[in-house]
Amino acid sequence: MTEPVIHTAATEVNYDAEILVIGSGAGGATTAALLAEAGFDVLVVEEGEWVEQGSVVPFSLEQMDRQYRSGGVTVALGLPSIAYTEGRCAGGGTEVNSGLYRRPPADLLERWRQQYHIRDLDPDEMNAIAAEIESALHVTTVPGAVSAPSAVLRRGADALAWENSESPRWMIYPPGGDAASGQRQSMTRTYLPRAHRAGARLLTRCRVKKLSLDGTRANHAEVELANGGPGRIRFRHVFVCGGAIHTPALLQRSGLRDRIGDTLAVHPTVKLAARFAEPLNVPDDVPVHQVKEFAPEISFGGSASHPGLIALSLADNWGEFGHAVRDWKRVSVYYAAITSEGKGRVKAVPGLRDPLVAYHLTSRDRQLLRSGLSRLTLLMLAAGADEVYPSYHHAPVVRKAADIADLQRSFATTKATVMTVHLCSTVPLGEHPLCAADSFGRVRGMRNVWVNDASLLPDAPGVNPQGSVMAFAVRNARRFIGTERPHG
Amino acid sequence: MVDLALPEATVITGGAGWLGRALVHHLAGESGPYRRDGVIRALVLDQREADAVHAVSDRVETVIGSVADSSALARLLADLPADTDVIHTAGVIHPAKTADFFTVNALGAANVAAAVAAAGLRRLVHVSSNSPFGANPSNADTFRANEPYNPYLGYGESKMQGELAVLDHVERGLDAVIVRPPWFYGPLQPPRQTTFFRLVRRGRFPRFGKGDQRRSMVYVDNLVNGIVRAELTPGATGKGYWIADARAYTVNEIIETVGRALADEGYLVTPGAMKLPVIAGRVAERADRLIQRTGRYQQQLHVMGEMAHTIACDISAARVELGYEPEIDLYEGMRRSIQWCRTEGLVL
Repeated sequence: MTEPVIHTAATEVNYDAEILVIGSGAGGATTAALLAEAGFDVLVVEEGEWVEQGSVVPFSLEQMDRQYRSGGVTVALGLPSIAYTEGRCAGGGTEVNSGLYRRPPADLLERWRQQYHIRDLDPDEMNAIAAEIESALHVTTVPGAVSAPSAVLRRGADALAWENSESPRWMIYPPGGDAASGQRQSMTRTYLPRAHRAGARLLTRCRVKKLSLDGTRANHAEVELANGGPGRIRFRHVFVCGGAIHTPALLQRSGLRDRIGDTLAVHPTVKLAARFAEPLNVPDDVPVHQVKEFAPEISFGGSASHPGLIALSLADNWGEFGHAVRDWKRVSVYYAAITSEGKGRVKAVPGLRDPLVAYHLTSRDRQLLRSGLSRLTLLMLAAGADEVYPSYHHAPVVRKAADIADLQRSFATTKATVMTVHLCSTVPLGEHPLCAADSFGRVRGMRNVWVNDASLLPDAPGVNPQGSVMAFAVRNARRFIGTERPHG
Repeated sequence: MVDLALPEATVITGGAGWLGRALVHHLAGESGPYRRDGVIRALVLDQREADAVHAVSDRVETVIGSVADSSALARLLADLPADTDVIHTAGVIHPAKTADFFTVNALGAANVAAAVAAAGLRRLVHVSSNSPFGANPSNADTFRANEPYNPYLGYGESKMQGELAVLDHVERGLDAVIVRPPWFYGPLQPPRQTTFFRLVRRGRFPRFGKGDQRRSMVYVDNLVNGIVRAELTPGATGKGYWIADARAYTVNEIIETVGRALADEGYLVTPGAMKLPVIAGRVAERADRLIQRTGRYQQQLHVMGEMAHTIACDISAARVELGYEPEIDLYEGMRRSIQWCRTEGLVL
């Protein structure tokens, strides 16, 4: 398909839009499609570029350069520092993530409703929305056999009697296709074309510097083009959907600081590489099995494992682990993720392009990471791994159950590469005094500034968050459509 | 699944210990669900211990010696039919010096496994502990049947080595099953457990933080039940099972339930607990660790350090695979313990 993008060689832009959507990921694309289909005049601006699927190898270094912010990895300050990744391209994180889908769990929605006093959060409505999203994204399980690295998770968990399941993905598989033949149904394949068909415009390579406020209203956005040219976009309403780091940073730069960016939540993750007797590596895809025996506190799954990423995961004890990279076809990388009780902050600093991000783990979080890595190691042994290489400084090679005692003794989060891909909760929604947005995502104290992305999730969901992000985005967009009329 | 038949002979190591005497009471008693015929033989350390075992049942043969001594084990297992089960309960939990942990819990288990294998006996039931697995990483976490080792200090390390030695013999053909009881309680309990009642009665039991840590416990009769189920269930070879009460209790619930049991037994109870910050538990744990490094052992510090943690386990594998069903809950178990203390003339 052709990219539904405004091509402009202009060195200065000036646009008017009824609705400005900032960001084109899971939240922004969904918002744009629904509002455009309801008759609103929608303009989407996206800082990254439109990258056609298939033009870069999934999970490759080139992809990190073109579709991630800061070439792949950014670091949150704290002890330990936590590395995180964000998509920066048309479609946002949906273009680069694992494509795994989890419907927002009913008990989670109920807890959020009570704890954060979210008005009109109706489980039936959310289920209906989820079903609609699943149909739009073609959420499905893989045809035929799963990949070998995925089968490792299933085999190990079954041997230990730990609950595990295949996470569905948003993929279209051709008739007769196998697990490797899927076509990702990311935002550039689904909601962005839908938005375009309904008349929405998409401006890529355009960064929003700040919103200009006048009392309780925002009037226009000051933007910067990739060529450095300035611009201004006037709007009636603005939906900020830049993700959990850049949404609060933009609001703060615009002068909105009340409760914004103070409650960053993530799923901290530790990793290991495991070597098996037989070749199993699949360089351009991730496993679909997840182990939820200890959920929501601890979850296990598979990570991208092309040779460069294997080298990265062995790097913490390269002297002893490095040789395994030559054997990369028999190695795959796995993660243990936790729901953290720690909190982080996002703070826009004048003069710096990117905000400062800090995150602090609690003592319980550190225990969960240790336990998660140890349990994941046991699972690898149960699945038949010859050697397991946990990712932290001076980690032991684990070959048998007794070696895990050494792992537990020597592990410390300060030695580990703790990272995360799930960032959320910096503008939590709800009527609770801690919430920075109301129950439908409108920023407190503002009449026409809305947030509709992962920032709204009140805390870390404990499952792949894209399904939850989209479900809330649809719900809030519908609410908006029900109360505001297009000017036409 | 059909149970294995009762064996012709049963051997109990640590026969004079708390659990050992409870087993003697149930297996060699005059009646009850676990009573069995045939030879019952117990390993004891000295004549005083032999007398203590005979006070429970004079039907039991005693052999004097230590599990650390292979020749004593050869005597213990001499002249027994192949159809003999061995229940290995000997262990030290609060020794004078940490070296004893390894002599008894690690070397002792290795010796017993080797002796049972050499004698070609039917099955070994090895009584382990929660301590090879440490504490749960959070108060909400529960240990599953299969967990990675994470030994808690010297005791945990020695019990882990004991398990590994037994599993090593299983690889070479020994039929052995591991049972893992957490904190157990009940009649015949040692004096430290009497202190526990006394602290609760006076409202002085240490409670760290909110007291929301969870603890699995097991009433001793439930434990005997679990051990016998592990002994007689075919197909359990090489596996380890948590044997505990039906669910874990919070520290608050333990204090409240024991207080209620004491009151219902006619004792005057001062409600409350000694409130301590969680950090105090961490400090005790650190001090315990430092002292143990010097080869010494201090019981109060050890118990304090452990009380700040959640140690909770899931018994569903024992339920499903062994048909284990814990019949006594905390309140009933504690009432029976209190009654036993009273008949023994112990002051609470």
